Amino acid sequence: MDKYLDVLPSFVDKIRKVREIIISNIVLIGQISAPTFHERRRAERLVERLAEFQVDECLLDDFGNPIGVIKGSSPDKPPIFIVAHLDTFSEVEADQHFEVTDKIISGLGVSDNSAAVGVLASLPEIFRHLELRFESDIVLVAPVCNLGAGNLRGIRRLLKTWPTPIAGAICLESVELGRLNYYSDGMIRGEIECSIAIEEKWERYQKPNAILIINEVINAILNLRLPQKPRTQIVIGRIAGGLDHGKIAYDAKIGFEIQSDSDDMVKELYADIRDIVDGINKVFAVELRLNRISNLNATRLRYNHPLIKCATRILNRLGVEAVSEPSETALSIFLRRQIPAITLGITSGDNFHQEGAMVKIEPMFKGIAQIPALIMAMDNGVCDE
Amino acid sequence: MNKSWVESNTFHHSEFNDLNRLVAEKHRKGLSISLCLPTLNEEKTIAKEIIIMKAELMTRYPLLDEIVVIDSGSTDKTRDIARSYEVTVHEADDILPQLEQFKGKGENLWKALYVTRGDIIVYIDADIKNIHHRFAYGLLGPLLLTDRIRFTKAFYDRPLTVGENKLRPTGGGRVTELVIRPLFSLFMPDLTQILQPLSGEYAGYRSIFENIPFPVGYGVETGMLIDIHEKWGLEVIAQVDLDRRVHKNQDTKALGRMAFVIIKTFLKRIEKLGRVAINQDLFDDMIQYNLIRGKLRPEIRQLEVYERPPMATVADYREKFPPSTPGSSGAPGV
Repeated sequence: MDKYLDVLPSFVDKIRKVREIIISNIVLIGQISAPTFHERRRAERLVERLAEFQVDECLLDDFGNPIGVIKGSSPDKPPIFIVAHLDTFSEVEADQHFEVTDKIISGLGVSDNSAAVGVLASLPEIFRHLELRFESDIVLVAPVCNLGAGNLRGIRRLLKTWPTPIAGAICLESVELGRLNYYSDGMIRGEIECSIAIEEKWERYQKPNAILIINEVINAILNLRLPQKPRTQIVIGRIAGGLDHGKIAYDAKIGFEIQSDSDDMVKELYADIRDIVDGINKVFAVELRLNRISNLNATRLRYNHPLIKCATRILNRLGVEAVSEPSETALSIFLRRQIPAITLGITSGDNFHQEGAMVKIEPMFKGIAQIPALIMAMDNGVCDE
Repeated sequence: MNKSWVESNTFHHSEFNDLNRLVAEKHRKGLSISLCLPTLNEEKTIAKEIIIMKAELMTRYPLLDEIVVIDSGSTDKTRDIARSYEVTVHEADDILPQLEQFKGKGENLWKALYVTRGDIIVYIDADIKNIHHRFAYGLLGPLLLTDRIRFTKAFYDRPLTVGENKLRPTGGGRVTELVIRPLFSLFMPDLTQILQPLSGEYAGYRSIFENIPFPVGYGVETGMLIDIHEKWGLEVIAQVDLDRRVHKNQDTKALGRMAFVIIKTFLKRIEKLGRVAINQDLFDDMIQYNLIRGKLRPEIRQLEVYERPPMATVADYREKFPPSTPGSSGAPGV
């Protein structure tokens, strides 16, 4: 292991030397819009780029996941997966135009997850530049349908149909450098929508207001008693509704997520929220609907797993503090299938899901250096220990 | 009108996306290629242009031998950003400083001839938001894969940005359709086949560029086309469809000033060619009106049309690029 730690500083310098190729990939792939369920064009461009970089096998699988396989020297060794989800939070379908300076790359979606996808596309060239060959096959995947209602369908489908055992996986997120995720919470993500029938004629006084009803729902959710153990929280992360300042709101909606390290607690709370919705429905006689958008099971890699130790040492050697938090990414799908996996961040950034989203260029070289170092360790069997 | 030119000399960039073939042809012909990016306050776009061109056409495929930025005195971080990506950056005023100084895109392009070393020079504007390396290899394709074509010019489906995430499709550009196309139709109908004569992206052999004069401002594209056409004919020119170019929109008044310079350049050219006689001196002032506090007030801008002589006639240049230099005047094909 120490051998890989020793070469890390030289990795950083050598990776910096191909920065134009890395940034070029981030820009040329990331500028193609890829809202969840509409990733096809970006997926095709990624496969095209991987083929241009002489990756041995490049394809779109039957679900639309772009995949590149760099063949290893030992056909019998199980492959190592490197994963960066392809879709972005933005629902804008027009292509974006990133801006680049000497310090940052900015543009919609760059920090979730276009920078990581660009790095994924650059890995074949980076490996060549670092003169690295692996015994295991390296499978580069940018799964589609990852975010929100996509519910990680791309990676679920891929792993369900993958024909061989998998040695381990590194999931890449654009931000934040130092991120070292190895567990995911149980989670149910849902929406509660309130609609009030529009009356054709005069609005009657004291007509129900969808926003106020949603407010009742929020208050009821806030009244739920959450345990400290298992660690549990309900996040109300989205709200929308109404038309104008002086008009009764006919529609309102909230989006929420129940998170807990106990799957049972998540289910219990979801049932409580269903009861709240049913109760308020009866009281106000309005149309209040609860929709489940996506869900995940709680899963984790044990904290002293060699893969985690190894990733922590790499970060320490790079002078970056490792920070662990639960992660609802492809990680959980690998872990659920007993495949050792971690999620790493590539660089630092700002305004993650907003117009002014940006990532910094210089920290990226350390962030990328983690990947080949960790692959070297995995190729030498760190996940088998 | 030469009926077949538009069919035989119009290409699409995708015909040239076999970059290995272009590189092989460049080496077989023993040519070197320079990319010149003229700039004035382009800190938002310059890095992306340099990075993509350098990564794709220098590091991955050795098609370009150098990227040179010629700056007109930017007051933003254009030059610093460009230098940070390790390309050559010149301030136009520092090139041939003993000559009288002018400001303008044409001046930058003309001076680029002195500081670049390529046998072929590609000029690309530095304000392109959707920059892609096709902008360079598309223009280089006809020059490398044929022997007859010596100058290539881009045309596009040109949407203008009119707001966040909104694009508006246009024809050839307002100045093209309202000014230059009518003028070409009246006096030089052959040139109407060039779909976007004012496009800012073109490439050609040094032997072409060094033997024509360069208007220092907006008239450079018009003057260049007329001169190449007059000197070598339409057959040495090709146009390449580069698909889409997204760039900053200019307001009507700015386009009016551009049109003024282009018309003036055009009139001077056709007078010089003996096609018309203009029996008065042309004025240098463009007069536009603004409504200020309910009163119309003239805004007068002096827009003189200066012109640099063919670079091949400049002694310093002749010393640096003697006629025997490959690609310079006397090279085969021109």
